[in-house]
Amino acid sequence: MSATDRSRSAEPAAQGREATPLRKVMCVEDDADIRQLLQFSLGTVGGYEVLCCDGGIAALAAIGDFRPDLILSDVMMPGMSGPELLAALHEQGLADGVPVVFLTAKAMPDELERLLALSATGIIVKPFDPLTLPDDIRMYWEHGRGTRP
Amino acid sequence: MHAETKSLGSLDILVVDDIASTRRELVERVLRLGHRVVEGRSGEEALAIVQRQAPDLVLLDLLMPGLDGFEVTRRIRALASDRWLPVIVTSSARGDEHFCHALRQGADDYLTRPVNPELLDAKLRHYSQVLQLQRQLGSAVQRQRDIHDNIREAVLTFDETMRVIDANLEACRRFGDGTPVGLVGAGCRAVTGVEPDELLSLAEATLTGPDGRSFPAQLACSQWFDGGRPRVTVIVHDLTGRHAVDRLKGEFLATVSHELRTPLTSLLGAVTLVAAGKAGELTPAAQSLLDMASRNAQRLGRLIDDLLDLTKIESDRMSVHLREVAIGPLLREATEANQGYAQRARVRLACRLDAADEELTLRLDVDRFLQVMANLISNAIKHSPAEGTVTVALEVTDATARIAVQDRGPGIPSDFRQRLFEKFSQADGSDHRVRQGTGLGLYISKLLVERMSGRIEARAADGGGSEFSVTFPRPGRAGDAQRPLLCIVDCDPDAARRARDWVGPRWRVEIRSGLAQDAPMPPGVSLVLADPQGQGDADAFCDGLRRHFAEAPIVLYSDAVDRAYVTGQGLHWIRKSGTRREDLERGLLQLAADGPLEPAR
Repeated sequence: MSATDRSRSAEPAAQGREATPLRKVMCVEDDADIRQLLQFSLGTVGGYEVLCCDGGIAALAAIGDFRPDLILSDVMMPGMSGPELLAALHEQGLADGVPVVFLTAKAMPDELERLLALSATGIIVKPFDPLTLPDDIRMYWEHGRGTRP
Repeated sequence: MHAETKSLGSLDILVVDDIASTRRELVERVLRLGHRVVEGRSGEEALAIVQRQAPDLVLLDLLMPGLDGFEVTRRIRALASDRWLPVIVTSSARGDEHFCHALRQGADDYLTRPVNPELLDAKLRHYSQVLQLQRQLGSAVQRQRDIHDNIREAVLTFDETMRVIDANLEACRRFGDGTPVGLVGAGCRAVTGVEPDELLSLAEATLTGPDGRSFPAQLACSQWFDGGRPRVTVIVHDLTGRHAVDRLKGEFLATVSHELRTPLTSLLGAVTLVAAGKAGELTPAAQSLLDMASRNAQRLGRLIDDLLDLTKIESDRMSVHLREVAIGPLLREATEANQGYAQRARVRLACRLDAADEELTLRLDVDRFLQVMANLISNAIKHSPAEGTVTVALEVTDATARIAVQDRGPGIPSDFRQRLFEKFSQADGSDHRVRQGTGLGLYISKLLVERMSGRIEARAADGGGSEFSVTFPRPGRAGDAQRPLLCIVDCDPDAARRARDWVGPRWRVEIRSGLAQDAPMPPGVSLVLADPQGQGDADAFCDGLRRHFAEAPIVLYSDAVDRAYVTGQGLHWIRKSGTRREDLERGLLQLAADGPLEPAR
């Protein structure tokens, strides 16, 4: 699997804010199967332009070219964790105004609070429903912070 | 002549007399009383028999050539120094002087000759009883010694200067070189690495062995007196293993959570997408098989969630944040959240609320309450026939609020009712929706409801079906006054809240961080639970407690005191560390039920 799997879908999201519809989503996830699932869910089902990265390093390298509207990142990843990626994005001024939503399998309340305290826009808990995920992240894009099971 | 072969009451008696005729006469009397006899014809022979055959009792003629009875008595005492061998001297000489002389030499008793058979019988019965008691005591002491020596806790006994006077095998291994040499006589600090004060006052401490390795230990001290001299016995339980297990349990929780949910995410996601036709048209057969896969993957996900919840609750890792909330909106939220499921099952889900009860408040953890309601409502939907109705209703009394979820399903099988709230219990059913459960939901609900000071019940509903209900006490209501008031005085707010959550719904609880003037103590307190830790001088704090709560029993719930201290203060004691929820709940109920309280455990 290459570091970035890119697909461009024909139709952008039909709904969303008129002025700035959610169009480009960057997914950061170390598990290849879940990357494929995210690609299918957000690309094929949701109609977003999706770029999947296998870790924080690849994401930092690709973000300048891709210029995502929203970043959906796993939390526990080898090398650079999701929170470390978020910190690096802020440090390098790469994520100004780009909402970061975490995807986590550790749905303990303390963990969720800790992640939200890191200025993440939202949290989506694994296992997620690939049919509703496109709408869920669009809600974050439109309405801001919170937790979505 | 071994103790275990002797029948109860019957003794092995050594009869010593140099004159054959009088010896025979006494032997026959003794035999007639049901005892066994060994004969000794001289003092020398008697001593040999005592050494060889260990009789229970000696009947000894005083006047014999060679070694006389006085000398034999003296030597028997020297020979059998490790056990008590009763010696009854006999003589036909008149006057008490020689009997007194024999008693001074160590004899226990005397009989004049000719021997009165009834008196002989009475004396032998008496000694038989005393010997029996002595044997029982001996075996109890032996058993205790065996336990003391072989338990896996280290047991050290100190004298009044806190030097070791006794150590069991584990203590020898842990604090010495495996033998008591070097340990006995050594001081507390040299042996354990901590000062006597710490050893006696702390419930848990880090001790150091002779190899310099430190280990966490739970300590239990007891003070006692040996002939008026104070002794302290300390039982040391190594917590290294338990701490490792706690850490592993935490890591295990996180790992299970992550490692199981990650593959489940791909599995469930892929199946969901295909089943929804996102990867192309499906034949009806493929659709049905994929639905099956999807259902079961979802069930696996719920099972993982439930298992994690359960592990957290059972190991007290799940915190419950109680606050006063209006029940009306909460019940509507719970109902609303399950409408989708109800519609798919073609079940009508209704919430019946009196307008008057709309703003009623209860002390709940909102998330946990919604979790319980979701479980009860989805269970009711699962067991309802299509076009059936599930109702959520609120019944309010002076003291309580009861939320009932009723269905029109087949009801609860009578043989299942007993096991309803147990772990992994599920009624057998042919309906696949029923089989979708994990068997943990009601058990988890029960634990959560109890954490929120409520109770959960199930019964057959009027007019068929079943009714599950949760009942919570109403905060600050008239009925509330009937519950006894417990005042917790603890400067650690977390500990105070945990104690409040733990004592159960039977108590109204007031928390005070200390005895300061600006926070007056509540009136009408039935019981006080107080920790002197962090309250300054403990004696002054205890005096203050007694002054403030003259009428109420006071329990020190603390690791900072020991038994000697609470006994000295005349208070009760429950150790904080190692005391579980059930122990505290039960301990307080017992204190309340006993009236005049037993001394601290």
